Amino acid sequence: MTAASLQGVGQPGGRAAGSLKAWQSQLTGYLYILPASILIFCFGLFPVGYALYMSTRRWRVVDRGYVGVENYLKAIGDPWSALLFVGGFLGLLGAWYLWTRPGSARNPGYRVARIASLVVVAASLWLIPTGWVGMLSAGDERFLNAIPITFYFAFGSIPVQLLISLCLAYILFQKIRGQEFFRMIFFLPYITPVIATALIFRNIFSPRELSIANRGMQALGLPAQEWLFESERLLNLLFGTEFGGFLAGPSLALVSIVLFGIWTYVGYNTVIFLAGLGSIDPTLYEAAEIDGASHIQQLRWITFPLLSPVTFYLSVIGFIGTFKAFNHIFVMMEPSALGTVTTVSINIFNTFNKANQFGYASAQAVLLLVIILYMTFVQSKVLGERVFYG
Amino acid sequence: MADTQIVKPIGLSSARPRAVGRRGRAVRYRLGRLVLYGVLLLGGAASLIPFAWMMSASLMTLGETVTRQLLPSVPRFENYVEAWQEANFTRYFLNSIVISAVILAGQLSTSILAGYAFARIEFKGRSLIFSIMLSTLMIQGMVTMIPNFLVVANRVPFIPLPGGSWLNTLQGITVPGMASVFSIFLLRQFFAQIPWELWDAARIDGSGHNLFLVRVVLPLSKPAIFTVTVFVFIGAWNEFLWPLLVTTTETWRPIMVGLYRFAEEAGPLMHLMMAGSMITIVPILILYFLTQKQYTEGIALTGLKG
Repeated sequence: MTAASLQGVGQPGGRAAGSLKAWQSQLTGYLYILPASILIFCFGLFPVGYALYMSTRRWRVVDRGYVGVENYLKAIGDPWSALLFVGGFLGLLGAWYLWTRPGSARNPGYRVARIASLVVVAASLWLIPTGWVGMLSAGDERFLNAIPITFYFAFGSIPVQLLISLCLAYILFQKIRGQEFFRMIFFLPYITPVIATALIFRNIFSPRELSIANRGMQALGLPAQEWLFESERLLNLLFGTEFGGFLAGPSLALVSIVLFGIWTYVGYNTVIFLAGLGSIDPTLYEAAEIDGASHIQQLRWITFPLLSPVTFYLSVIGFIGTFKAFNHIFVMMEPSALGTVTTVSINIFNTFNKANQFGYASAQAVLLLVIILYMTFVQSKVLGERVFYG
Repeated sequence: MADTQIVKPIGLSSARPRAVGRRGRAVRYRLGRLVLYGVLLLGGAASLIPFAWMMSASLMTLGETVTRQLLPSVPRFENYVEAWQEANFTRYFLNSIVISAVILAGQLSTSILAGYAFARIEFKGRSLIFSIMLSTLMIQGMVTMIPNFLVVANRVPFIPLPGGSWLNTLQGITVPGMASVFSIFLLRQFFAQIPWELWDAARIDGSGHNLFLVRVVLPLSKPAIFTVTVFVFIGAWNEFLWPLLVTTTETWRPIMVGLYRFAEEAGPLMHLMMAGSMITIVPILILYFLTQKQYTEGIALTGLKG
């Protein structure tokens, strides 16, 4: 009020009324966002800071005081090895930068940059495993092993998911009769509560000889499998090799869970791809047809480039999604899988809820956040640069 | 076709292969379509077979589930009654309905207000606050889970809760879910499209933001609000990890946690477990079939805008 009357001095009254109105409008704005802001601050932003704080303390149910980086050291083991490991990944990013920066082959320094890039890649490929072995020997094996498991989970799910759903969406887009019907059917697994569907799949992938999955194997003339109970790695199962650790690929139990994930998310990706296909200007195809472009050429030069923002979005969403996946793994996890399906999220939950190590679980969660941020950054650099926006 | 060729003898030699080619193309087109439908049917079958198996197993006797018949000899609908009673579903169902409704009401009111402010009111720091909110989408649920648990247990001194610990209470389950950046974003996008002429007209009539929001914006935004409603309700119904953490007693345990507990206890009783699963998904299926058009279009919209 005082502000308004002060401003009113020496000015026409209308201006004063206007500023009062503007002030009121500002206040309304703040009041409107207040409830949402308080909630998002308390349950979305503040917890990040608090998790950082907790991760520096020995906190088992109750806070027992500051311990500095002890929790982090416990997770990653030897800090020098961790440095080598992280350096390797930063090196890969740098190599990518060197490789793409000079652009055209005519630029000066093109060859130098390419050679430097290859050198950096080679160095990184030496740093990463060296660092990793050092970390494994001193750090928390459960946490560290969960990282490649999570990567197998992500890289096993997302490309397959995208490929299947792109095919389905492309087919549905061909003026198919019953398009909406099929779209609804494909979408059904995504909408159904994941606890219920995971229970169904726990049953389908049960190790009994007559389970649905084993009947399928029988029909194909293949031996019955233990599925969710199988801790043996895929390569060893397929080729009878005897690799140790994560080199031999994901365990069959993890593959079963990946299959479930694909089953769940294909419909979602199909719906979004379909919308993306629908937003491509049809006159482009007509023009291409007149120019005599074949079906494959149209796909390669029109559909794929114009669909790339959607593909990029789905791969980023899928990546973040697989890294925070919890519910279905939690339901389908069997003790006899011997921890081969324990992703980072599951391990954090176990550390927090079963072992009651709140501080240590927070440190793991912070490390996971860093990994996700790094991966999202890499994705937006490497994939994002290839996205074609109209 | 043949007649026209006889009438025009000139060019017959060239017309014939063309006619064959056209017929060949038609055959190839048909074949192509057949393959396309084949792939779609295969995909559809893959989507539906697990559901069919659940339905079939839910009607079997225990013996039939062990010997893995594909179909029950006599459908046993009493399995549903048994599962319902064994699993205490009456309580969990009511809990879930109340929880979902409360989350829905909370989220709709916070998101409508915030979405409106971000779309249509100029205030200092608007874009900064909005981008801070959007950045929380990057944050991973596991990071916030542990501090949130402590907040709800009233063990964080910075955030004192009214009435002590919220563990095993309705507010403990629902309040953290009452604001969603996603819903705010969705509604903001929609509100921003409403023509500014309407606001000018309303202002001349002397109405402020409150009246304009209630009288003009909300009625115009029914489709968007409906989409958000379905999203939020389905999300709240399917929520698992958070209620699992904050409910140790039955008082406010929702259906998904109840189903999980039931599956842990009744693990070998496959027929009851499948009947129980079936029961929990029926409300979602009904909701989905009633609203699937708006729902899938809403999903597609978020994907393209995202």
